[in-house]
Amino acid sequence: MTLKAAPLLLRVLAYCTAILVSFGCLYPFFWMLVSAFRTSKAILASPLRPWPESLSLSVLSELAEIGGTPLWVYAGNSVLITTASTVLGVLVTALGAYALVRRPDFWLFRAFRLGFLATIMYPYMLLVIPVYIVMYKIGLLGTYTGIVLFLAVGPIQFFLFEQFFQTMPKSVLEAAVVDGATEWQILFQVVLPMAMPVVATAAIITFLLNWSQWLPILVVSKSPATYTLPVALLNLNGELGVNFQGIMAMSVLTTLPVILFFLVAQRRVMSGMTAGAVKG
Amino acid sequence: MTILVNMVRSGQLPPAPAVGVFWWFIAPFALLTLVFGVWPIVLAVQTSFTASATALQPQAKWVGWANYAVLWSDPIFMSSMLRTLTYTSLAVVSTIVAALLYALLLQSVWIGRGRLFFKVAVFLPVVTPDIAGYVVWRWLYDQSFGAINTALDALGLPLFGGIASTSTVLGAVLVAELWHHVGFYVVIFWANLALCDKGQSEAAQIDGANAWQHFWHVLFPQLRPAILVNSVYALIQYLKTFTVVAVMTKGGPNESTNFVSYYAYQLFDQGRYGEATAMATVLFTLILLLAGLAMRLQGGGRRQ
Repeated sequence: MTLKAAPLLLRVLAYCTAILVSFGCLYPFFWMLVSAFRTSKAILASPLRPWPESLSLSVLSELAEIGGTPLWVYAGNSVLITTASTVLGVLVTALGAYALVRRPDFWLFRAFRLGFLATIMYPYMLLVIPVYIVMYKIGLLGTYTGIVLFLAVGPIQFFLFEQFFQTMPKSVLEAAVVDGATEWQILFQVVLPMAMPVVATAAIITFLLNWSQWLPILVVSKSPATYTLPVALLNLNGELGVNFQGIMAMSVLTTLPVILFFLVAQRRVMSGMTAGAVKG
Repeated sequence: MTILVNMVRSGQLPPAPAVGVFWWFIAPFALLTLVFGVWPIVLAVQTSFTASATALQPQAKWVGWANYAVLWSDPIFMSSMLRTLTYTSLAVVSTIVAALLYALLLQSVWIGRGRLFFKVAVFLPVVTPDIAGYVVWRWLYDQSFGAINTALDALGLPLFGGIASTSTVLGAVLVAELWHHVGFYVVIFWANLALCDKGQSEAAQIDGANAWQHFWHVLFPQLRPAILVNSVYALIQYLKTFTVVAVMTKGGPNESTNFVSYYAYQLFDQGRYGEATAMATVLFTLILLLAGLAMRLQGGGRRQ
């Protein structure tokens, strides 16, 4: 069947379904954004109003402090923790995956890999509690270092790199070995230039995932001084005496940066995040 | 998510002469994995065999399988486990079926323009911070602020109990989770469909197959390995359901969303470390078994 041969009725039905599903996916974002500009009283009066009464940013002054900590601290923490854990994570994971692909048969490397696989399969919400004890023992509790180190290693970026290194053409490496290049030269002059696109993809995805993290940050922190935006949002949502407009505005602040980032890089993100699951 | 597919793979590159320099490459990765992965897991398993009151002390008291025995006779744990398994099966089936149907629709001949828009729209919730997404859903369901009941009321339809009623809360939580997760599987199935053999589809078209026959006899056999493996991924993912409960329901109302992961976390909070880690170990074992199953499916269903 070609596009033209498809019956009109079916095409109309298909588009109606797709538009309806898309509406369902996008409406929560729209409602969140509109509600962030409306007072709680106005929302109570008409929750469905599709545009705000006025485009005032006054809610930001209400949010200037959450739980005694200024908003800019949370925002700063989000940027700092996410950026640092992304840079470190991409570096560490890329090198680790590279070593594991080059020497897959060495028993100790194989053991590291199994340890990693066990870690990512352990229910993460239950892993953070023993991690708390570990952080206490090595004196990293309540520190940025502890949070960043814990967030650095994750499954999606690891498998992205592993898959890339496994599918790298053998001939390129063989040629380099024959030419007498050292492993450091091969890494920096042959592998790294080839790997730049996947490094970029992994960096973007790691950034998006780490921006959303909350439980490890909540558990490792000793005070709100190291909370990020999602953790602050959770706190605000749990407070007694609901500040509805504030919660919606805070949700917008938490969501907007990653959404913009995703829209710019959507092809890379969608293919990168699902890569391993597709090419089974 | 991509975990299991890759587990069975081994390297295809020529072996390097010595391990030597690779120690430098792997050292940071190995260190982080050991300190923040393996060590905590060992600690947790060890704690599950000690008395809660002494669990955090250097000389913890060894109690053997006692914590597991407590779980076995704890009616809340048993009903929580049953609830988790029921919810998980429901969630996996709805996720896979919805994602497959939607991917088929988007790749069908009936949709031309706008494909990319529909794909991005369904994937947007996947990259949205889960806390923010579930906070918004929690309020969409709200009886006084929420948009959903206002809309139902305006249309003259019966109101939806949302997260406030024991009879609707599982459905409400499921819808929010589907919103967050389905896009991921849609994009996977979309890619799998794009990899399907075009020749077979053309042959079916020449033979005059209708849309259903085309799906059932041509596409489905090619997609079966992907459906199986992704079902197991989804199973593992939904067994760990936690954030949505922490944000929206806190296990309620009346325990009706108290899943194993949340119950275990609550026990941690109450200082019942032994039982909590025993529960974590049970869940972990279940996930490992499923992962083993996925590997076998992957091995058997691999087509290349």
